[in-house]
Amino acid sequence: MLSLQNVTKHYQTRRGTVRAVEGVSFDVRPKSTLALVGESGCGKTTIAKMILQLERPTAGAIAFEGADTATMNAAQLKAYRRQVMAVFQDPYASLNPRLRVGTIIAEPLLAHENPGRAATEKRVAEVLDIVGLPATAARLYPHEFSGGQRQRIAIARALALRPRLMVLDEPVSALDVSIRAQVLNLLADIQLEFGLTYLIIAHDLALVEHFSNDVAVIYLGRVAEAGPTEQVFAQPRHPYTQALLAAVPQPDPDHVLNEAAAAGEIASALDPPSGCRFHPRCPLAIDICRTTTPEPRGTPHQAACHLVEA
Amino acid sequence: MVLEVHNLHTHLHLKRGILRAVDGISLTVGEGETLGLVGESGSGKTLTGLSLLRLLPKGSGRIAEGSIKLDGQELTTLSDSAMARDIRGRRIAMIMQDPMTSLNPVFSIGDQVSNPLRNHNIAQGATLRSKVISVLTQVRIPSAEKRLGDYPHQFSGGQRQRIVAAMAIGCTPRLLVADEPTTALDVTIQVQIIALLRQIQADTGTGIILITHDLGVAASLCHRIAVMYAGRIVETGPVRRIYKSPAHPYTQALLAAIPRLGDKRARLQAIPGQPPSLIDPPQGCRFAPRCPARMDKCAEPPPTVTLADGHEAACWKLA
Repeated sequence: MLSLQNVTKHYQTRRGTVRAVEGVSFDVRPKSTLALVGESGCGKTTIAKMILQLERPTAGAIAFEGADTATMNAAQLKAYRRQVMAVFQDPYASLNPRLRVGTIIAEPLLAHENPGRAATEKRVAEVLDIVGLPATAARLYPHEFSGGQRQRIAIARALALRPRLMVLDEPVSALDVSIRAQVLNLLADIQLEFGLTYLIIAHDLALVEHFSNDVAVIYLGRVAEAGPTEQVFAQPRHPYTQALLAAVPQPDPDHVLNEAAAAGEIASALDPPSGCRFHPRCPLAIDICRTTTPEPRGTPHQAACHLVEA
Repeated sequence: MVLEVHNLHTHLHLKRGILRAVDGISLTVGEGETLGLVGESGSGKTLTGLSLLRLLPKGSGRIAEGSIKLDGQELTTLSDSAMARDIRGRRIAMIMQDPMTSLNPVFSIGDQVSNPLRNHNIAQGATLRSKVISVLTQVRIPSAEKRLGDYPHQFSGGQRQRIVAAMAIGCTPRLLVADEPTTALDVTIQVQIIALLRQIQADTGTGIILITHDLGVAASLCHRIAVMYAGRIVETGPVRRIYKSPAHPYTQALLAAIPRLGDKRARLQAIPGQPPSLIDPPQGCRFAPRCPARMDKCAEPPPTVTLADGHEAACWKLA
């Protein structure tokens, strides 16, 4: 469905080149969910921006159903954009406070199809119903809704054009625990009902395990480990994935956290470590990790680590 | 007891009316004990913490009723100047969520960590400098003596939160109020700050109130938990009781609603609806409109039922 090949993004700044994303490859299978996992600054949001055509890759290719987005003409790009929609983290920032909900949801429709007033209103009512809001919500403003309801409105807007792929950037992190499950269940329902493909960005590993079919763990712009979610979580092979999983506090007082799994902090993308980018924090690092960048090993469950046997 | 709070009511006077943000809560924190104040946004947990420090929003915030005792001393009737001189930053200190906003970007960290020590006459001159170095070393800032002149932006996010912790523990407070201290941090850094708070408590015996919405963080750090909903504590008890045998339907629903590592992909048990407005809250149990075990009686205020030693819940179902 969506395929990234060696995608790289560098930003030139006064302080030097920021190597935000470096040679990232993965495939998102149709009607499934791929999760991008990693800590702040690892490049996962930059990857999402490139998929949404908000940034251009410095190198590498992003293909949608076999067609390279870099070589698309204006009409093809417009067609691509209507099939790929996004839901962002903060429903307080992503909805224009001056517009009525009906206008917010109608905007993509007007930009792409402009089907006329009656058809627009009908479609707005349809998507509001899909996300569990009454048709009367269209007449109200975003501030009249709670956080969870606002995120439903953002989902309704993304659904208005019947997209095929949705990029979900931390879709529930700004919501309360009791509301998160409502929104996650809604996203699961509409995926099934409309055959949607999801790319979800999240830092909550328990959520990722619960919600995704495949996962790619990103560290400092590179894929550290990727594969079917079940395999990656059951048998993490990269020391970084192991450290992440060991550091997640569990709602269980008997669970013991591994405080030593990853010492120190993530390095700067301005000056990433040589060799394996995780080596300064890795408890298992050996000489080769400092000099040589590890290639991904294994399929479909791959890990980019010198200590992993292919 | 380090801290005893009895029947605390904190109100916010807004244009729309009086918001009863904290509506009659009681809690205690013992020496060397960590109490987790767990709840969702708007449940009143942060305003409870701010009430202890008397740092309520100017003009609108007011402690309307109740008592707060620190080592037996009543704080609600203390003058503002005595509060600033003897209590705030001295005997009760606070760590907030975002280290970037609790540190001043234009002062060096040496200045900022020495401020409370100087203001509370803990140390001066050369003693002050060595005290600052020792606190920064205690929170594991590497080569602290060389970094006193550095500014907050020269440190990483995790180090900044360590510096905030150094400011809080310099005066060896009796009580540390930590409001979402790890929420802005990545998971591998979060685990380091959890370890740091545990170490601070072991070193100094300070009581800690951990305010959080994260049931995982609370489980890993707290001895006791108080679950807040809509301005009230609905259940309180030893951490193991709360997680292994939660009694209040809200606690049960909250624990069932979160995905856990190792759980197979399945539907989450969502809690329908949303919390009530605290300007005009329901008369009886505030969770009743969302509660699967709702009964007619729930229209009346629920009784607090003792289930075991130190384990209480406010629910008609248990009465």
